[in-house]
Formats: sequence, structure tokens, C-alpha cells
Amino acid sequence: MKKIKIIAGIIWAILGLILILVFFPGYNRFSSAASKLPFMKINPRYTGGEIAFEEISVNCTLITRKPVFNGLFKERKTGFVQIDWRGNIPEKIVDTIDFDADGNPDFAISIDTRESTTRLDPWSKNVEGIDVSTPTSYGWAARVKLRNERRIRSNEW
Amino acid sequence: MNKSLGKSLLYTLPMFLITFVFITGGKPDFSDPANSIAILLTFLGINALYFLMHYTGKTDAYRAILFIIFALALSFTLISNIIETRSSMSFSQADIIECKIPFCHLVIPMMIIPAAFTKSIIFPGSIIGGFADISAMVVIWLVATIVLGRGFCSWGCFYGGWDDGFSRLRKKRVIKKISDFWKWMPFAVLIMVSLTAALTLVPTYCDWICPFKAVTEFEKVTSVESAVKAGVFVSLFGSLVVVLPVMTRKRIQCSFLCPLGAINTLSNKVTPFTIKIDKNLCNDCLKCVEVCPLFALTPDGIKNGKVSVFCSKCGKCVDACTKKAIHFGIKGIPAGTMKNFSRNIFLFTSFLFIAIFSAGSIVNTLKSLLNLIF
Repeated sequence: MKKIKIIAGIIWAILGLILILVFFPGYNRFSSAASKLPFMKINPRYTGGEIAFEEISVNCTLITRKPVFNGLFKERKTGFVQIDWRGNIPEKIVDTIDFDADGNPDFAISIDTRESTTRLDPWSKNVEGIDVSTPTSYGWAARVKLRNERRIRSNEW
Repeated sequence: MNKSLGKSLLYTLPMFLITFVFITGGKPDFSDPANSIAILLTFLGINALYFLMHYTGKTDAYRAILFIIFALALSFTLISNIIETRSSMSFSQADIIECKIPFCHLVIPMMIIPAAFTKSIIFPGSIIGGFADISAMVVIWLVATIVLGRGFCSWGCFYGGWDDGFSRLRKKRVIKKISDFWKWMPFAVLIMVSLTAALTLVPTYCDWICPFKAVTEFEKVTSVESAVKAGVFVSLFGSLVVVLPVMTRKRIQCSFLCPLGAINTLSNKVTPFTIKIDKNLCNDCLKCVEVCPLFALTPDGIKNGKVSVFCSKCGKCVDACTKKAIHFGIKGIPAGTMKNFSRNIFLFTSFLFIAIFSAGSIVNTLKSLLNLIF
């Protein structure tokens, strides 16, 4: 038993050494393989969520993303919707957004990109206000705070 | 002294060849003088330290030099990279929205539960391809923690070098008695940050606690909340990484706060490498208990010939033992036997890891300093 333990220990130590030896030459392959694991994607709370619609104009593309309400187990009562303006953004941005695509605009947003001021006019009871409005490397991004109507309704029931 | 120059050179030869391939990329390019000098200095410096480990028989002194240089170089590389891309050490809302925050291994404890339940990573960084991407850091940490266990904290963690460095500044301790009860604190921190991160889907340790934000990057101070956070980062860095390590000669942040240290402590059960105590040689002087920077050795443990799972295999106790009773070992091999074999395998594995992992940052730092001077 003692000998088996010694041999097992030595084999494990040599395997460890080999693992370090092969790890660095294969580093790119290992990290590429790790990046393909099912959980290896950034949470929508950081990416802003999936793109729902794109509206392309002459200089700038308006991107409306899907609302993000995700929590650990289930959707949260509050979340946000992210709007991106990509390309050569104008000095003044004025847009109306219908993020749930029900045909009724949910809010109007106007941004003075020079002054970095943002104004939001909520037209839906689920729109709560501006969370973030900031210049980005690709143009401008704004996150508008939302109430999760579906979650609130399910709680009422 | 090991004294055998030839034997020490022979032991250094494989490290010399492997690090040459990795540091130069196998194709030395001498077109940029600053880069060539930086590569040469890094390569020679790293191999000189490894040679001295064999030649003198001492481990910790030479490990610490590389470990501390790595910590300084990594912070320098990270800060210069951040300043180059953002013109500031602070990050903005836009950097978060664009997922441009460099990832570090301290986030790992907080991403486990959300990754299991939401199948996503709760960090605004890049999965692959960006600077300090998530998959690369996860893989590096995983391999190191399987092979070295908590040895990662002394042979790989680029933050540990800060603690280690400050703990060596004074020759004598000002604070001598610290309850080692506090070494369980990282488990409490681990549970707290894992749960809060899972509930909020925010990496709470990075957001509110991490002392190393003070030497890497931090949220731009634009509100009372961000000012409080900056205050916490600087206070914790000042107290746990600078003042207390100087006064106690212990790695206080690593011992009492780091949540990843807690996970690495658990992985010490998996690693093949360990520290062994030969009770036939030990005279219970407890010098090893006094010098251990992570509270891994206790008088009771020494009596029973056992080293706790908190050990990071830094080698400080091994160097301090005048009776050579405490030594690097491999699990399964009885204490006091195959000492040289165990030490040689452990040193080669752990030093190779830190040498290759640290080389890029050291070369980059030296190159920048050379460009600055000349």
C-alpha cells in the first residue's frame, strides 16, 4: 500500500509537470476551447442584451436591444432597455422608441451630444427614467430603466 | 550551500532552453534594441534566480524576487495599457457598456454560481481576444490551481507579490501576536461575495472591496457611491497590503481577505505537491511557525508533523529550518524521504509556471523603462 501511494504520488506530480509543460505551448487552443463552453458569454446586464431592431439612416444606425430583466433564477421586476446610436452621430439626437414593437412608441429620447445632456419623455407606464447615457467608441449608448410588467402582473396574481 | 556548480547548471539547463523558446518566441528578433535588451535581461534574470535556487538550496528568497517583480511589472503593464487606451486609470460607464474591463482571477469566485444558473459571466470584459480576456485567465488559473493548489498564491498570483513585498520591508515584527482564527476569514468573504454576486449579478468583490483596484483600475469618481468605493479600495490597500504586512511580516490581505485564496486552499487537497515535516529531525524550535506568512503552520501542527491546507508552498519555512526537518514533498511519499527528488520536481513545475506567466509583463516593463531612460 505504501509503495502504491508513493508511485501514485510520483505519477501525479509528473503529470502536473507535464500539464504545465504542454499548457503554455497549447495556451491559445486551451483558451479558445474554454471560450466555447456554454456559460462563456457575457451576461446581458453588461452587453446590453440582444439586438431587437436596427434602423439605418444616412450617417447613423439606431439599434434597439431587447429589454434586460434577467436575475439568477427568474426575471426581475425592474430592468432596462439599451439603445445604441452607431456611426457619425449628430449633435442632437431625437428619437422615439417602441422597444416592445406593439406599434405604440414607449418613450421619446433627446440627447445633446455636445452638452452630454439627455431628456426622456416616457409614454408608457413601464418606462421609469434614464439609467445611463454616455458617449462610446462607436457613437452613443443609453439605458432606459423599465418596469417588468409581466413579472409585476404574475406577482399580482 | 548545495555547492555543486555543475549539478546546479545541469538542473538549470532545461529551464534555460524552455524559457528561451517562450520568451523569444523561438525566433529572437534584434531589430528593436530596447526590446532585445529587455528580453535578454528578463531571460538571464529568471534563469539566474532558478540557478541560485539549486546552487544555494534556498527557495523563498529567489522566488520572492521574481514574485515581487512580477507584481510590480503586471501593475505597470496593466496601468500603462489602460492609460494608453483610456488616458486614465479610471473606467467609465462607456467602458462597462462596451465590455472593455480587463479581467483578473479574483473575479472567478463570484462567477461560479451565476455561470451555473444563468449560463453567463457577470463581468464586463471580453470572452476571448481582448486584453486580459476571461477565457485565458480562467484557464491559466485552473491549470495552476490543479497543479500547484494554493501554491498559485505564491507562484502565480500577480497581486500576492505586493503583500509579499511589503511583508519583507522590516526585519522585525512590530505586531507579534495575531490570532490565526482570522485565517478562516477568506471563507466568510468567499461565501459573502459569492452570494451577493449571485443575487445582484454584479461582481461585488471587484465593485466594493478589492484592495488591488488601487494599483490597477477603478470606477471613475462621479458620485458619492463611486467616491466611497474609491475610499474603500485605497483604505484596504493601505491597511491590508501595506501597513499590516510591514508591521506583522505576514501577508495579511492574502491570509485574511482574499476569496480566491480560500478556493485555492481547498484545491491544496488536489495538488500533488506539499510541504512535509520530518519529525525525526524536528526540534520543535517553531522558527517555521514564526516565519510562515500565511498562518499555515501552528505549534500543534508541528507537534503532529502536519502542515495545514493554508500552505502556499512559498518555501519560507523550508529556508528557515536549521535542522532541514521541513522540506518540499510529494503526497504519498513519507516525510524525510526523496527530499531532493520532490524539491526538484516541484521547483521545476512551479518556477516554469511563474517564469513563463511573468515574462511578458517583465519584458514589457523593462522595455518601457529603457525607452523612458534612453
